[in-house]
Amino acid sequence: MNQKNGDKKMSDEEVRKLVLARLSVMSPDVYIAVGSDGSFSRDEMIQRVEAGDEIGREISDIQMEWLRSWKDRLVQV
Amino acid sequence: MEGSFGSGMILFTRPDYDPVTKYISAWSKVLIRESVEKAIECIDLFDDKANKKEFEGRVLKTNPSLVVLNGHGNNDCVTGQDQEPLVIKGQNTNILASRITYAISCDSAKGLGDEVGKYPSTAYIGYDRKFGFMYSHGFLSRPEEDPLAKPFMEFSNQVVRGLIKEHTAEECIQRAKEVGEANLRKLESSLSDPDIQMAAAFLWRDINHLVVRGDEHKKIY
Repeated sequence: MNQKNGDKKMSDEEVRKLVLARLSVMSPDVYIAVGSDGSFSRDEMIQRVEAGDEIGREISDIQMEWLRSWKDRLVQV
Repeated sequence: MEGSFGSGMILFTRPDYDPVTKYISAWSKVLIRESVEKAIECIDLFDDKANKKEFEGRVLKTNPSLVVLNGHGNNDCVTGQDQEPLVIKGQNTNILASRITYAISCDSAKGLGDEVGKYPSTAYIGYDRKFGFMYSHGFLSRPEEDPLAKPFMEFSNQVVRGLIKEHTAEECIQRAKEVGEANLRKLESSLSDPDIQMAAAFLWRDINHLVVRGDEHKKIY
């Protein structure tokens, strides 16, 4: 993935699209347990991210935290 | 065997009523098996026994050195079976005083953990954000065998394994993070698999939000 844009911030909509794209290629047979909020299938997660509710935002945050961590971890190498 | 445990007991709460509690309770079952093999006495509050009355009674009677709380939670409490609160900030946190607690529960290290950590010679290990993991269809009857959940299990269980080896609370969480990061690197070597990508993201989150409150130098004696 090219990162010529450096630290350009993504809009919420861009983040949502990115996360939805990543979710859409997941297997339907896996689930995410998000603590007290319960378990969600791929399709349920897609619905939540599309809805932008608390769970959807949590899933997006987790994805983006991890993606952003690559930048720091690659720099350290 | 590896190291000596001393005279302490470990008390586990293992609610078992939804996929999340089935999984995390199964992870603790692995720990119970390992502990028993090391002749460490364990109290297993499984399923309906993971209720407040039983929990408080058994803690007071047996005085465990380590309490492992599995269950849904929030800033202020950790729950047991059917989401009954077991330990509640501002109510009965003194029950965890002078012990080490490890809570596999969302957010509890924030409010509840802070309060518990204020008691002398007390450590509370937990998560200050939501604890999440991934699992596969078809493993609800044998969660400990689910390969997708295994990295999360090994990461979480390492906390207790370290405590049993009489490391300090802080040493245990650092070692757990090392185990988690090693598993994360394995996951990240298979990033062509979108399921693995998502698992890596959740494991990264859990690793970064495992914290200790209170006496980080406390060990089990």
